[in-house]
Amino acid sequence: MSKGRNSTKASRRNFLKGAGLVGAAAATAVTPPVAANAFPVAPQEKLKAALPGPRQIAAETMAPENDPVNQTTSGGDYMVDVLNSLGIEYLAINCASSYRGLHEAVINHGGNKPEIITCVHEDIAAHIGQGYAKMEGKPMAMACHGVVGLQHATMGIYNTWCDRVPLLVMGGNIMEADKRAPGAEWVHSGVDIGALVREFTKWDDQPASLPHFGESAVRAYKIATTPPMGPVFLALDQELQENPIRDAESLHVPKFQPVVPPQGDAAALAEAAKMLVEAKNPLIICDRVARTPAGMTNLVALAETLQCGVVDNLGRMNFPSRHPLNQSFRRALIGQADVILAIEMNDLWGTLTHFRDRIVRTSHPATKPGTKVITLGVRDLFLKSNYQDFGRWQDVDLDIAGDGEISLPVLTEAIRRLMNDGNKAAFAERGEKLAKAHLAMVEQSKIDATIAWDASPITTARMCAEVYNQIKDEDWSVVGTSIRLSWMHRLWDFKKPHQWNGVSGGAGVGYNLPASIGAALANKKHGRFTVAFGGDGDFMFSPGAVWTAAHHQIPILYIIQNNRAYHQEYMYLVAMAARHGRNVEKMDIGTTIKDPNINYAEVSRGLGAHGEGPVTDPKDLAPALKRAIAAVKAGGPAVVDVVTDPR
Amino acid sequence: MKVLKKIAVTILAVAAIGAVAFAAARAQDAPRGDAAAGKRLYLADGCFTCHGRSGQGGAYNTPAPILAHTAMPFDGFKGQIRNPINDMPAFPTAILSDKDIADIYAFVETLPGPRSPKDFPILNN
Repeated sequence: MSKGRNSTKASRRNFLKGAGLVGAAAATAVTPPVAANAFPVAPQEKLKAALPGPRQIAAETMAPENDPVNQTTSGGDYMVDVLNSLGIEYLAINCASSYRGLHEAVINHGGNKPEIITCVHEDIAAHIGQGYAKMEGKPMAMACHGVVGLQHATMGIYNTWCDRVPLLVMGGNIMEADKRAPGAEWVHSGVDIGALVREFTKWDDQPASLPHFGESAVRAYKIATTPPMGPVFLALDQELQENPIRDAESLHVPKFQPVVPPQGDAAALAEAAKMLVEAKNPLIICDRVARTPAGMTNLVALAETLQCGVVDNLGRMNFPSRHPLNQSFRRALIGQADVILAIEMNDLWGTLTHFRDRIVRTSHPATKPGTKVITLGVRDLFLKSNYQDFGRWQDVDLDIAGDGEISLPVLTEAIRRLMNDGNKAAFAERGEKLAKAHLAMVEQSKIDATIAWDASPITTARMCAEVYNQIKDEDWSVVGTSIRLSWMHRLWDFKKPHQWNGVSGGAGVGYNLPASIGAALANKKHGRFTVAFGGDGDFMFSPGAVWTAAHHQIPILYIIQNNRAYHQEYMYLVAMAARHGRNVEKMDIGTTIKDPNINYAEVSRGLGAHGEGPVTDPKDLAPALKRAIAAVKAGGPAVVDVVTDPR
Repeated sequence: MKVLKKIAVTILAVAAIGAVAFAAARAQDAPRGDAAAGKRLYLADGCFTCHGRSGQGGAYNTPAPILAHTAMPFDGFKGQIRNPINDMPAFPTAILSDKDIADIYAFVETLPGPRSPKDFPILNN
């Protein structure tokens, strides 16, 4: 028998791990030396007794191998200890053999802590992590096959990256070629599996030992949670997870100490304060300011001190919707401002520019000549090259690197020091004008919402008004919206930090359903009532997420804005046909989801959720919502299919 | 910009003289259109995709204005269709004739406009 590279004899690595092995193979336990056909026997006729087979030959001629079958420790146990030391509450997974060692250790060593969230697709797991982190303020983990599972997860990870949200992604791998079984383990292994997501993660590593894992896991968590936040990736060697711990005595869990986010330079903030105080029409624009509940408080304090308008791009719950200084639906103010303070902006150029999507694409500033722009944020402190999520270059006058949320109190205090009776009066007068304009805007929204109130398909305004009427007295939290659905922010009273958590980040369809369930998972222990809107197209990317919500009893009221189309694309095709002077009447081909219409309520019921709809008559909406809300309060998910007008 | 200015001036003027007088002016301004034909065109040619089936407004790359019971004069309406001021697609005569536009205009004029929010208690939460 060959003792070469295909031998089943314990490798040097396993040999060195012998301390944790129990009961080396008993003398009578014999392992076949090689595959059953290693000793081919020529067919012979008229035999009175069968010739001995390879197993019998081996048993009779070879010494028993050192082939341990049990162990008392496992690398996966240590990995679980590290994850738990970081306070990671949940591990979203689609089970896979390449991390079976970790999976088993979570259940038996960790007592299902972090709690496993079973997902039917890796993209769901990643998006659940994205939604959870934005609501809970800390990351959870996900695990998948490092090759095939990670490829499924990439869209979720990309959205998480673009949204600047922390997530610990782990992918199983078998680093050493001689450890891989024939077949699937080869196509499931890679030399550098982190390469797949390296362009949209902050950091990645492939630990080669348990101490290496411990340090890299803590480092990864620290990097993920340091603003600007983002997903990180660890490749988990299967052998490392499964085999006994070597040198257990020297193994320890590294200490995690969170980074205090960088505050903007005090002198620069003082300069910003001077510019803002001296401005006649200062304006704050923001996107992802609020990392914690303090973010909204700090921004309100700044705006009220200056009595200036706030235009919120709604990347987080930054500013109360009914605050008199909220001017988010009065974008014309950008053109009137003489000083603009842009805080934690995602697309500053896009916000300050009028862009025309025409044959010749043109743009011109939305600002008036001479407007000074101050930026405050950390987004540009960590960028990568390939994916262009950094947006177009914007000229600015004062660029302050610093975490927005933590820098705002310093800026506000600097402004207060510059205030006197004269500018206080001017500020107050400015604030009164803005408050009146805000009230007028709210009233106009109500007026606009009345149009086609009784129409079928149901208007999106009516849909949002009906939902709010049912949940307004709950401790509600809206964690999802469909594309360009703004009626909630025009009509509802958003005032608590957990009442909104932003959008997808990468505009990758398929975010909304699983990320909303992730946010609902976070809300569950706080007793909040989670509601989300989402498009029908988005829903069908990963409807299996509903099963996860049902399985784990995650309460969520999920409203499908069912316009039976990938509607943004429908409009684009109409525009293309019009540009070309051709038939615009067939642009539903390839852009609509009809013939047959999907019965989302039935789909949802099949996945274990409460399902309502399709609701086509607006008068049926309130009763359907009441039934769905009762199901949510009973502890599970409910899906309401509302057939709506396009937008 | 000329179109924009014309629209703005017209709207301001109309607001000053009152809704009844405006309705008369609008009727004089617009060629006679076939609202039923206009409805078919509005739904078939994609107007509804951005402005809503009931002309309640919506969004394309930017907000798409309300068309129900439009206050826009016909010339401005037609100008916006032929040579829009924003990302709205331009519809040439090969797609919409002048008569088609008149029909669509007649249709959106028939669409009920807004009502008082006071009549809708749930809008006043």
